[in-house]
Amino acid sequence: MSRGNVFLAAILWLVIAFLVLYPLSFLVLESFKIAGTDNWGIKNYLGFFLDTYYLKVFGNTLVLSSLVLLTTTLFGVPLAYILARYRHWGKTVFTALILLPIVLPAYAGVFAFIIFLGKHGTLNLLLMEAGLIKTPINFIYGLHGLVFIQSLHMLPFIVLGLSAGFTTIDPSLEEAAEVEGASGFRRFFTISLPLCSPSYMAGAVIVFLWPFTDWLTPMILGQVDFLPSVAYINIAYHFTDMHRKYMGIVAVIISSIVCIAIFLLVRRWVERKKYTGLSKGTTSEGRVIEPGALVKSGAYVYMIFIAGLVLLIPIVLGLSAFSRRWVFEPFPTYWTLENFRLILLESPILIKNSFLFSGIALLLGITFGLPAAYLIVRTNVPGRNALDFVITLMLAFPGIAVGVSYLLAFWKDIPLATYWIIMPLALFARRLPYFLRMAHSSYLQLDISLEEASEVSGAGKIRTFFNISLPLVIKGVLVGVVMFFIMAFQEISTAIFLYRGGWETLPIGIYLNWHRGMEFGIAAAMAFLMIVITFILLLIISRIGGGILKAAWGPGGT
Amino acid sequence: MAFIEIQHLFKRFKNVVAVNHIQLEVNKGEMLTLLGPSGCGKTTTLRCIAGLERPEEGDIVIDGKPMLSEGFVHPSKRGIGMVFQNYAVWPHMKVFNNIVYGLKIQKIPRQTIQEKARQVLELTGLNGLEDRYPSQLSGGQQQRVALARALVTNPKVLLLDEPLSNLDAKLREELRFEIKSMVRRMGITSVYVTHDQAEAMVISDRVAVMDSGNVVQIGTAQEIYEKPANRFVADFIGTMNFMSGEVVQVLQDTDAVYVRTEFSEKMLCKTSDTKATTPGKKVYASIRPEDVEIFTEPPQGRENLFKCTITHKAYLGNFLYLFVSVDGTTIRVQVPHHLPQEEGQELYLFLNPEKCMVLF
Repeated sequence: MSRGNVFLAAILWLVIAFLVLYPLSFLVLESFKIAGTDNWGIKNYLGFFLDTYYLKVFGNTLVLSSLVLLTTTLFGVPLAYILARYRHWGKTVFTALILLPIVLPAYAGVFAFIIFLGKHGTLNLLLMEAGLIKTPINFIYGLHGLVFIQSLHMLPFIVLGLSAGFTTIDPSLEEAAEVEGASGFRRFFTISLPLCSPSYMAGAVIVFLWPFTDWLTPMILGQVDFLPSVAYINIAYHFTDMHRKYMGIVAVIISSIVCIAIFLLVRRWVERKKYTGLSKGTTSEGRVIEPGALVKSGAYVYMIFIAGLVLLIPIVLGLSAFSRRWVFEPFPTYWTLENFRLILLESPILIKNSFLFSGIALLLGITFGLPAAYLIVRTNVPGRNALDFVITLMLAFPGIAVGVSYLLAFWKDIPLATYWIIMPLALFARRLPYFLRMAHSSYLQLDISLEEASEVSGAGKIRTFFNISLPLVIKGVLVGVVMFFIMAFQEISTAIFLYRGGWETLPIGIYLNWHRGMEFGIAAAMAFLMIVITFILLLIISRIGGGILKAAWGPGGT
Repeated sequence: MAFIEIQHLFKRFKNVVAVNHIQLEVNKGEMLTLLGPSGCGKTTTLRCIAGLERPEEGDIVIDGKPMLSEGFVHPSKRGIGMVFQNYAVWPHMKVFNNIVYGLKIQKIPRQTIQEKARQVLELTGLNGLEDRYPSQLSGGQQQRVALARALVTNPKVLLLDEPLSNLDAKLREELRFEIKSMVRRMGITSVYVTHDQAEAMVISDRVAVMDSGNVVQIGTAQEIYEKPANRFVADFIGTMNFMSGEVVQVLQDTDAVYVRTEFSEKMLCKTSDTKATTPGKKVYASIRPEDVEIFTEPPQGRENLFKCTITHKAYLGNFLYLFVSVDGTTIRVQVPHHLPQEEGQELYLFLNPEKCMVLF
């Protein structure tokens, strides 16, 4: 191990310490403060677990998590099987559409479905016009709506993991079951599905943890009795009531602990159960089935149904963005560009901020992520596993936790929070794992002998990196770069705590327009704009190397 | 009547014909090997028997029951056992559960399952490993699990798809004999696929040699080695010297012909197909290295005697390979003993007309 590597590792650790460990320590300390006194203690935590309200909130969140996981699983298993195994037309299009919610901001979906499925939304109005119903049906305001919207948002994680699993199972494992006498369902439930359980669990954990992170969807739907929403309200609205603030922080910490504990448990389980690599001779395509006509048309109907739900989001937001006063009408009647004029001409600062902050975060991400990936994959510097561990852990960390801890930490001693640089710094810290994962996996795929050959030929480490390693991993890195940018661009959970007047980003603009005066048109136009930008970035990714599937691997959203 | 009948089997993958209208019969209790280079259609044929591939044409009859012509019979309903090239041992199940999977599906009473599993564990030498996961086993042990799983249901037909190709040479040789004796003891009709000619010769009662989707020759190992049907078979099984030439004269009422080769106007050979051997026909005069005799002094009154130069000498332990040149044609000679002559020295080569055959 060279001196350079140790030096590099030390710098990376310093950055991690400053941007992750230091602020988080503030969050933890703050949760032990007792309101109205200078004392410390576990009173807040005791209060949390003795208060029936907080216990109910905790229980609600668990119920929501379980329901979302159940729904995504029930819908995701057949979907993944169809996508992975059936030979059908439009495979790429359907896959892309079904996976789209991963890159769409969660709040975009919420707004779209409020417009479409709300009490006086398009569907209700159409049904009433047709005389099928007398009073509007409550499609979304309630637990069922929350489950529906969160499930649609998280469905890709189940589908992605499982279909990758179904594709990579060694076909002979299933053939052996058939030869042994198992047909159809029996083979599926005893062999195929259990073999996919590691890839399923990897996605399922992200789905399960989403309700512990997503504060915005419940709030918009008027369902606030969930852990992250309660935390947000306590901290953001009641900052003068110290006790409520501390309770909010406790809620954040408990969410974080749940997330990290479950994340680590599942990670350990998945690593222990890894079945791939045990048998040789898998084909790249996996097993493809030509289904019967009936099954095939059923599969199409199913895929079109899910893809249609996903497509509703951009369509409805688009309609809303190009119209005004779309209320009590199934479809807009007054078309205008006014919303876009307002966004682009009167407050272009939002778009500028979004690009500026995400761009700076991205630069930081590259300068930090590439050496970190190199260090983790290619060297044996002490502590490299711990580095990997900490960065991976950040995947499971709720955005609120990052936001609040930055606010606490960078206030008095290091007053970074008074400068706008705090925004890109926070985005960088929060989204780093996405980039690192991509760089990491492309590095793993790079055969080390290619680099060794270069060194044997007389090139130094740095020359080898630029001449050999970088050109070979560049695709994966670029996909990581774009993915990082998309995720930073739509970040809201952290930013909402840190922004000040003049630092607003597009997502914050969306939130404020909804929150302040029900300026739905403008909020929708902003969301639509974000979808368009995301879509362009996705096109770039698919141009780079069809990496959408792999690139999107990680918890998304607010 | 044969136990397995393959009739006019035809299978293609897109534009590539994998199996080209082949006919094959496997007798009851017999072990037949499909032997050939990769891509010859042997594995596809086996997978058609298993029902894992659906052929475009033809039929497969197992124990009097057609598998295709009266509606496709699903693999799970064919009553076969199969050993896969990559073992296909289910990684998420313990050895015991792997083995009894098929028995459970047949809804056999627990007591019987236990008993059968115990027997097959004994037979395959897996005693004491039943509670292990496949990842805790060596390659050879995994292969035994695959074999045990295929045998435990007492299948009508056992199919083995290159079962030993992933093992190291020593283990491969050991398991060859074990598989042979196990299958023979149970009297199961079996089809074995391999590209290893030595394996085929050791393990099977009969060998079917395949080449680009066709069965070229069927016979016992000895028949195929001693009387190869054509140049492909002779080349694939063992080693053969091929001297390209042309028939110049066919001796009436015998199987002897004269062939003109690059170094000889008239070389005496035997042909197995007198009808096809006509003057002017392009053929290969062929002889196995171990049938070539060498002399330091020319013996009297022999045909097919040629002067040659040693170009290369290779020591292989139990015998010696000589590469000699006759007027520029290289011939390989297997000599069972030490030879004092060195590279560059001259010898006399005797291509025994009894052992010298004409191949097409």
